[in-house]
Amino acid sequence: MRNSTLKKSLSGYLFVLPQFLVFAVFTIYPIFEGFRISLYQTDAVRNSFVGLKNYVDLFADPVFLRSVWNTLFLTAVVTVVSLFIGLTVSIGVFDKSGAYISFIRTCYYLPVVVSTVVMAMIWSFLLNPASGLIPYLMRNMGMGNVNLLGDKRYVLWIIAIVTIVASLGTCMIMYIAALAGISREMFEAAEIDGATKFQRAIYLIIPLVKPTTLYLTVTQVINMLKLFVIVQLLTDGGPNNASMTMMYYLYRNAFKYDKVNTAAAIGVLMFLFALIITLPQFRTLAGIEPKKKAKN
Amino acid sequence: MLKRIRHMEKPDLILNIIILLGAVLNLFPLYWLITSSFKTSAAIYKMPPDWFPTTFNIGNYRDLFVGQPAFRWAFNSILVSTVSTVLVIVFSSLAAYSFSKLQFKGKNALYMVFICSLMLPKEIFIVPLFKIVQALEWSDTYMGMIAPTVASCFGVFLLKGFFDTVPDSIRESGKIDGASELTIFTKLVLPIVKPGLGALFILNFVNVWNDYLWQMLMARTKNMRTLMVGTASLMQEINPNFAYKMAGATVACVPMLVVFLLFQRYFTAGITVGAEKG
Repeated sequence: MRNSTLKKSLSGYLFVLPQFLVFAVFTIYPIFEGFRISLYQTDAVRNSFVGLKNYVDLFADPVFLRSVWNTLFLTAVVTVVSLFIGLTVSIGVFDKSGAYISFIRTCYYLPVVVSTVVMAMIWSFLLNPASGLIPYLMRNMGMGNVNLLGDKRYVLWIIAIVTIVASLGTCMIMYIAALAGISREMFEAAEIDGATKFQRAIYLIIPLVKPTTLYLTVTQVINMLKLFVIVQLLTDGGPNNASMTMMYYLYRNAFKYDKVNTAAAIGVLMFLFALIITLPQFRTLAGIEPKKKAKN
Repeated sequence: MLKRIRHMEKPDLILNIIILLGAVLNLFPLYWLITSSFKTSAAIYKMPPDWFPTTFNIGNYRDLFVGQPAFRWAFNSILVSTVSTVLVIVFSSLAAYSFSKLQFKGKNALYMVFICSLMLPKEIFIVPLFKIVQALEWSDTYMGMIAPTVASCFGVFLLKGFFDTVPDSIRESGKIDGASELTIFTKLVLPIVKPGLGALFILNFVNVWNDYLWQMLMARTKNMRTLMVGTASLMQEINPNFAYKMAGATVACVPMLVVFLLFQRYFTAGITVGAEKG
C-alpha cells in the first residue's frame, strides 16, 4: 500500500522535476542570493559583511530617493490613466459588431506587439529637437523651441505618456474579454429600466469587472517597477537624474558604477515592494485548487 | 450600418468617434517608423516633413545589413526565441500535467510557490542572476540568454488551466490499456490541449523576441546581439541619421507584427487567462 502511493507520487515528482530545477536555479536561488549580496561590501580585495549599511546609505542618497519618487509617480500616473482609458474604450466598443471590436483592439494592441524597444526608438525620433515631428509641430503652433526630453519639468510626463501608449493594449484586451463575459440579459434588463449606456457603465460594468481591474492594477504596477528600455533610450535617466527610476538606478549601480551590493539592495527593496503589491492577487490566481479537491 | 449609427446614444457616438481617432493616433507612430525608414538622410531633416513617402530608398536597409551584422542578429533572435519556447513548452506542459492530473505529496504547496513567482519580474534579480550565469560561464552564450526565460512559471499556470478541462476518463482509459504515465501524457492528453500549447508558443516567442535588458547584459560581443539589442545599440551611435535607426527598428518589429496579425486569437486566449481565474 505504502509502496504504491510512493510509486504514484514518483511520477508526479518526475514530471515537475525539470521545471523545478530551472526554477530553483534561476528564480529561487537568485532571490536569496540577492538578499545575501545586499548585506555585503564587495571590492577587488575582499568581501565583508556590513549588515544593513548598503540600505542605510541608499536612504541617504538623493539620487536613490529621487528614483523612488519617480517610480512611484510613474506607477501611479500610468496605472490610473491606462486603466481608465482602457476601460472607457472597452465600454465604448464592447456592444458593437465583432469586426469593429477586433479592429479597435488590434490598433491599440500593436504598440505592445512591436515591443518597448521599438516604441522607445520611434518616440525618440518623434521627439528629437533636430528632426522630430513633435518639436516641429510645437514650433508651428507657436510654442517655440521646447526640448521636451531635456527639460526637468516635462521629462517624467513624456515617459508616462510613452509608457501609457505602450501598455494600453493589454488593458483593453483584458477589459473587452471581461465585458464579453457579462451576460446580455443583464444589460437588456438595465436598458428596459431606461438606464443610459453611461449609467449602465457606472452602476453595472465597473463593479462587475473588478477582478480584471485588480489583476491589471497589479500587473501594471509590476511592469512599471521594471520599466527600463524607455528610460534608457529616451533620457538615460536625465536630465540631471530627473527621470531616474529604481530599475534604471539598479542597472547603473550594477553595471556602470560597479556597485553590485548597492544594486542588490535596490533589488531587494523592489522585491519587497512587488511582494506587498501582489499579495492580494496570489489568492485569486491560486484559487483554483480548493474547488478541485471535492473530486478526489 | 448607418441605421445602427443613427440609433446610437449621442454620448456613445461621440465616445466612439474619439476611440477611432485614438486608433489612428496609435497607428501613426508605426506608419512614421516604416515610411521614415525609406527616406534619405536629407529627407529626414526636411521641414515640413514629407507626410507621404516620395522616394523608396533602401539605402538604410543596405547600411544595416552590410554595415552591421544584422543577419546574424536576426538569426540570434530566431534561435533564442525558438529554443526558449520549445524548452518552455516541454517543461511547462510536464509540470502543468503533474499539477493538474497527478497526485504527490506537497503538490499544493509547490504550486503556490510557482504561482507566487509569477508576478515577480526577473529584472529585479539581475545582479544575482548575472553572477550565477557568470559562474556557469554562460555569459555571451545562447544558454545564458535562454536559461532564465525557461525559469518563468507562466507556462505552467497557463497550461494547468487547459489540463484541468481534460476529463479524467481519458487517463483512466489509457491506464486500463496498461499505458505508462508518459505515454498517456504524450499520446492521449497533449493532443487535447493543443490550443493551450499554441497560445503559450506564440506568447513566449514574442516575449523572448521582445526581451531586452537580459539579452543586452548577456551579449558581450556584437555578433551575439539579438535584433532588439542590436537595433537599440544603433541609438547609441553618433550617426544622426534617424532613417537608418528606423530601418533597424522596422526589421526588429515586423516579424512580430506578422505573427500577431496571423495568430491574434492565441494572443487573446493567452493574455486573458490570468484575470479569468478571478
